[in-house]
Amino acid sequence: MGSLYSEHRTWLHAVPAALKLVCLALLGMGLFVTQQWPILLCLAVVCVGLFASLGKATARAKPLVMGVLVAGVLVAGFHVVMHQPQLAAVTVLRLLSATLMGIALTLTTRYTDLLQVFEQVLSPLRWLGVQSDRLALQLALMLRFTEHFFVVWRRLDDAHRLRTGKAGGFKILAPLTIQMLVTARRVADALHLRLRR
Amino acid sequence: MPQTLNTSTLSHTTGVALEGVTLHRGSTTVFQSLSLQLNEPRIGLIGDNGAGKSSLFRLMCGLDQPQSGRVCVPEGAQSVGMMFQNPDDQIIFPTVEEELALSLQHLRLPRAQAQQRVREWLASRGLAHWAPRAIGSLSQGQRQHVCWLALMLAPHRVLLLDEPFASLDLPHQALLRREIEQAEPQVMVSTHVLAHVRHFERVIWLDHGRVRADGSGVEVCAAYEADVASRTV
Amino acid sequence: MGEFMNTSTLSLALVSLFAALIAVLGLIPKIDLPLGVPITLQTLGVMLAGCMLGPKRALQALLLFLAAVALGLPLLSGGRGGLGVFFSPASGYLIGWPVGAFVTGWMMTLLPNRSPRSSAISAFLASAMGGLLVVHVFGVVGLVNIANLSWEQAIMGTLVFVPGDLIKCALCATVVHTVARGLPDWRFGG
Repeated sequence: MGSLYSEHRTWLHAVPAALKLVCLALLGMGLFVTQQWPILLCLAVVCVGLFASLGKATARAKPLVMGVLVAGVLVAGFHVVMHQPQLAAVTVLRLLSATLMGIALTLTTRYTDLLQVFEQVLSPLRWLGVQSDRLALQLALMLRFTEHFFVVWRRLDDAHRLRTGKAGGFKILAPLTIQMLVTARRVADALHLRLRR
Repeated sequence: MPQTLNTSTLSHTTGVALEGVTLHRGSTTVFQSLSLQLNEPRIGLIGDNGAGKSSLFRLMCGLDQPQSGRVCVPEGAQSVGMMFQNPDDQIIFPTVEEELALSLQHLRLPRAQAQQRVREWLASRGLAHWAPRAIGSLSQGQRQHVCWLALMLAPHRVLLLDEPFASLDLPHQALLRREIEQAEPQVMVSTHVLAHVRHFERVIWLDHGRVRADGSGVEVCAAYEADVASRTV
Repeated sequence: MGEFMNTSTLSLALVSLFAALIAVLGLIPKIDLPLGVPITLQTLGVMLAGCMLGPKRALQALLLFLAAVALGLPLLSGGRGGLGVFFSPASGYLIGWPVGAFVTGWMMTLLPNRSPRSSAISAFLASAMGGLLVVHVFGVVGLVNIANLSWEQAIMGTLVFVPGDLIKCALCATVVHTVARGLPDWRFGG
């Protein structure tokens, strides 16, 4: 279960994460403010060009890009069938621009850098009870146990297969949930011991 | 039967004392007015399942509070550390260096610096290649060793190991045994594998929340084994 | 296991571990139901979060999960992730997940939980309200705004998925029933 970050360095890798996020947010807002398809077409061309300029780094995102294209074709086809070609164009251009730029950001920004920005953005909310410094810990804990629960799922599935000859499917969800709840109590114990200051 | 309190002063750098500790869990009484002075550098804890070994450790590290009585531990928020039986229940981070960096949080270093220190420390132990490894790629014994390393890095003065040998293969049992021998803090080990505590200066045999025997490792282990043999006839 | 001393660390652990469970549900390939209908289990995770953790923790678990997705981890079914997914036509549904989990959890606190059977029935109703209704409402809003569908078109479109989601509500209820029997002291609704 790797991340979508690409190790092939591109020009976009060097741009600071915060700047990329702000640009993406501005782009997102800009795309939805205008209904004029010529403007959207120009923006889309720029976005596609920018994405293509990342070269080999985009290889990793192939399934994502395919997903965008399929969604685009479906939505466009739908609107065309409904005799609204202009709406089709506007929708697809917006979709393409925003999604490709989102993918570009993900491909070129380290998870830890994005996390830092998230934490900085959330830190003023501390008085509301949002604990920004715990975010990194919770994410790490989540990732660590995603791997572990996957192994537990496989083990439960194997046991089920041995006993019934068939795959477990959703019948394994309940035992996995029970395991998760029991583990959570034990993990909380360990956390309590190690996080004490 | 209430035990008399030992009024000698407790060493403040190491050692744990229980004074008249009573612990209830639901409708069962786990300990009734239990008093113990635990100052020896290596102490073993043996007994049947359900005798209260884990409960005793939980009291000592502060996970549970007694209904009456006192538990005295050395000063400091992290003076007592514990290793649970299953490493998967206690490893929090997905990679070794992140997991060990958490043990250094009392130094309040920025993340990158803490991880750098961890790398240096691992290198000094000949384990530099472990730093970037994913926990998921380690064997059970290796994960248990990561838990041990985390305990070594933290500022603990007392280490409680709850059945640490249970899921280890022989090589890792031998490794852990050697590590325990060389560790600086006071170490208390609860185990079913008597061979690992027989040579300890002091072993306590716990039975239904009471101290059944308390003395040299050789004597207490032999007494416990004899008792089990007589029960299994 | 007796009274738990530190509820804030327990909350932390439950939130993170449930987010992990939802991620795992995305990694598992589609499950085939008896009639040969394939379903993905991840939306079931949203309902289960609400039923098991209660409103506040379920909300946090889903927010944590979405944060991880936003940071670039391919945790959605089919290996999707990154900020791009929040611009897709289906992103309304994603935004609906935390809210749906919250509503499901909130309903679980209001509905009866005394026996495994009553917990299961409550779980079905709570899942239908939160995991299904709320999520679909958000999904429709997303479709209207991003895919530029009309309200009627979006509603018709979303209704296609309702039967499958009702089955998931039933599945959630069976899981709750089994968990209630396996962990009799678990407080549903947090």
